[in-house]
Amino acid sequence: MYVGQSLPRPEDFRFLTGRGNFVDDIKPPNCVYLAFLRSPHAHAKIVRIDPKAALACSGVLRILTAEDWTKAGLGKLVCVHPMPFTDGRPMREVLRPVLASGEVHHVGDVVAAVVAETRYQALDALEAIDVEYAPLPAAVKTGSAIDDGAPIVHEQFGTNQINEITRGDKTATAAAFAKAAHTVAMTLTSNRLAGSPLEPRSYVADYSPQTDQCTLWATTQVPHMLRRWICKYALFISEHKLRVISPDVGGGFGQKVNFCVEISTVVWMARELKRPVKWTSTRMDALLSDTQARDHVSKAEMAFDNDGKILGLKVDTIAALGAYLSNFAPSIPGNSYPQTITGLYQTPALDLRVRCVYTNTVPIDAYRGSGRPEATWVNERLLENGAREIGIDVVEMRKRNLLKPSQFPYKTPVGRTYDSGNPPLLLEKLVALAKYQELRAEQKRLREKGVLMGIGIAAFLDKSGTGPSKQLSTRGGLHGGFESATVRVHSDGKVTLYSGSHSHGQGHSITFAAIAADRLGVPVEDVTVMQGDTDTVPYGNGTWGSRSASVGGSAIYRASEKIMVKATRLAAHLLEADVGEIIYENGLFSVRGKNLSISFAEVADAAYHGARYPDDPGFEPGLEVTIFYDPPDLNDPEAMHLAVVEVDRGTGRVTVKQYFTVDDMGTIINPMIVEGQVQGGLAQGIGQAMMEHVIYDDEGQLLSATFMDYAIPRASDMPALKSDYICTPAPSNPLGVKGGSETGTIGPPAAIGNAIVDALWHLGVRRIELPFTPHSVWQALRAAGA
Amino acid sequence: MTKVTINLTVNGKAVAAQVEPRWPLAEFLRDHLRLTGTHVGCDSSQCGACTVHVDGVAMRSCTLFAVQADGCDVKTIEGISSGNALHPMQKAFHENHALQCGFCTPGMIMSALDLVRREGYELSEETIRHNLEGNICRCTGYYNIVKAVAAGARAMRAGAAT
Ligand code: FES
Ligand code: FES
Repeated sequence: MYVGQSLPRPEDFRFLTGRGNFVDDIKPPNCVYLAFLRSPHAHAKIVRIDPKAALACSGVLRILTAEDWTKAGLGKLVCVHPMPFTDGRPMREVLRPVLASGEVHHVGDVVAAVVAETRYQALDALEAIDVEYAPLPAAVKTGSAIDDGAPIVHEQFGTNQINEITRGDKTATAAAFAKAAHTVAMTLTSNRLAGSPLEPRSYVADYSPQTDQCTLWATTQVPHMLRRWICKYALFISEHKLRVISPDVGGGFGQKVNFCVEISTVVWMARELKRPVKWTSTRMDALLSDTQARDHVSKAEMAFDNDGKILGLKVDTIAALGAYLSNFAPSIPGNSYPQTITGLYQTPALDLRVRCVYTNTVPIDAYRGSGRPEATWVNERLLENGAREIGIDVVEMRKRNLLKPSQFPYKTPVGRTYDSGNPPLLLEKLVALAKYQELRAEQKRLREKGVLMGIGIAAFLDKSGTGPSKQLSTRGGLHGGFESATVRVHSDGKVTLYSGSHSHGQGHSITFAAIAADRLGVPVEDVTVMQGDTDTVPYGNGTWGSRSASVGGSAIYRASEKIMVKATRLAAHLLEADVGEIIYENGLFSVRGKNLSISFAEVADAAYHGARYPDDPGFEPGLEVTIFYDPPDLNDPEAMHLAVVEVDRGTGRVTVKQYFTVDDMGTIINPMIVEGQVQGGLAQGIGQAMMEHVIYDDEGQLLSATFMDYAIPRASDMPALKSDYICTPAPSNPLGVKGGSETGTIGPPAAIGNAIVDALWHLGVRRIELPFTPHSVWQALRAAGA
Repeated sequence: MTKVTINLTVNGKAVAAQVEPRWPLAEFLRDHLRLTGTHVGCDSSQCGACTVHVDGVAMRSCTLFAVQADGCDVKTIEGISSGNALHPMQKAFHENHALQCGFCTPGMIMSALDLVRREGYELSEETIRHNLEGNICRCTGYYNIVKAVAAGARAMRAGAAT
């Protein structure tokens, strides 16, 4: 069995030797370059754009504005996952124009584009474009975006509110609060983040007038979806006329799922100019235009009985979606967030309201965790503050409230059903792994010496494996949730897999090869995995939402099974036996009780060249299967984190000393890769907790526009880490796998926040703001009068 | 813009080229010499993806102009090993799963080699973490990179001894 082994990754070699093939490495001959002029204002009317001087610059081929786009009769970006009001009214939708038309809505909004012979010529010409703006007041802060008198982002609506999602039962929750022995109330803000994969976005398009065929190399996690969006919504061309290739991609984290504003112009210009066109984002472009994430403000309250059992949860959230609706944006606060808000606890009553709002900021969309870190931050901060108010140890508090294994499948008050799990075992493992009792004793000792040590926990679930197409469509989703796989057995018995998933660091090539090799009984080295090319891979939905192992992997599993059915039939025919008599072991088909056998490779050879096919009606030559696998359900990875911090009272500086994770991801295919995902996610979660923060000033100017201002964790920021795993297999897929790559981002804000409050509780600190910079913690100490 | 002639050595080969004074060394290496293993992640000396060796010392090629490398000996990731053989540091990254997307990897390896040059073959976790502060990895969380650098350094000593 290869599944379960830490097999190394074949793709490493090219990355280690500098031979990766990233989009910006591609430079077709005769290539021209695009550059985009971005708005310096958060909100303004465009009074006039004068390209004259720019047109006269050397090397300039085109200057493009909204007028050119409209004249060409082209379309707009699309929001593929709308979230209407719960009462049925449609959301207030503004789709993003490819070039800002008449008005700009955030700093970085695209106003014009230049195509020139070289990148420098394009950049020089940008500076020569003369734009006159009439600035308008900007709505910047999420918490006040729907206050009376707030500046309006899109005038036509008269409000910044996009929708209103309600879940749970208001009356029952009010009743639960009325009889509560204790309640805890808090305002909780989830800081805005910039996903920032290290490779900036890059697009190269090359058009052949002879075949009317265009190839686009793009940094994307979803090649087929991207092709569809560009063709169907922006450029109105046939999908088969655009080939999207996503070669090596330097990290995605959800941010490279999106239909970005610059990309359609690249393809458009390649078709117009009949020359290759290239655009690569600078880091500043990225921070001004890559979709951002989180940015919630919630008023939340939890009610408990005398024993600390949760009676009810009330949450009222304002979620910023930025200046325009990006692809999946509304579904993050509107769907992922509500689905995980009660976490792993039995919460009998829930009253949840989410209002999504426009602000004059970069659009929000998916980023690793998407909705779950925001939910966990709310649920877990309330629970731990509740425990401390009541005087119950935080581990004991969880024991009293956690779902029991016997309660699964568990229907939450949101209406979602969790598939499987064992939260008490997760807690037990966490307590043992962290040596919780010893930590408490240590805390006491240190406290006597004046050292402020704190311990905090976060218990939560992820939501992975999107995810039944039907479920998506009933919510109005404009995309599927299936995954494709082709298993092609060559006539020498070697195998090529074509998967609609897309690896941008997750190591699919070895993970998927292991799944197929086990099913086919061939050496894993004989299996090659191909992805990321819409001309060679059947339509796939790509990689996001931790769906590749459970959906993409299951597609490969199922297709491999079908291969074996056919290979077995052919083997039986060749061995002149019944299918029922065939045994397959170690790559050999043999007949039970007889000394007859034939190898997998020989069967493959016969499938193509033997011509001795069985007479069964419908038996086809060849040994290749393509399937589209639609999962029957999502799956629910669950995890618990424990953080140990020390706080410097004088400066507010927090050091995360130790960190512990226990995950339930169902069956683990490749432990090495899964551990890497846990660790990598954790760095991003710790980033949100400790330093990452997209900051706009009151006028909407972006203050965090370089990596000097937008802090990302470095090697020295990471705490000592210990990890463990439990396994409750997912019931809905044949592999039993659950998503394995997002839990790291979900726990840290809550676990570390709880640990800081634990360290400072005796000083009166009850509330702490993300990210936990020295300034933030020092403010919390001051607010508490400590 | 008028171009300037520079003469330098890149991965052991003499190179003479006409460059614009404003071209960063990274751009010259990538776009003109087509040595695309050197990556650009931030353009502002923050991420280390563009790290190369100039006269044996690790430098950020995004903020060094190509003209500044005139007369220098430049080494990039492509010059670390030859053919199918991996340098012990590259091998250690592979064996410790110290890369995911691979975008930061060339810069990490160039920085790690410079660290071994400065600090020797026996590197503590603290030394490694401190010295890799100039290299961002957004994928791995650094744990496996730290392990790989320690293992790679030790393997280099074994190699140097034989
Ligand atoms: S690109 Fe040079 S340090 Fe980031
Ligand atoms: S492996 Fe992706 S940035 Fe380091």
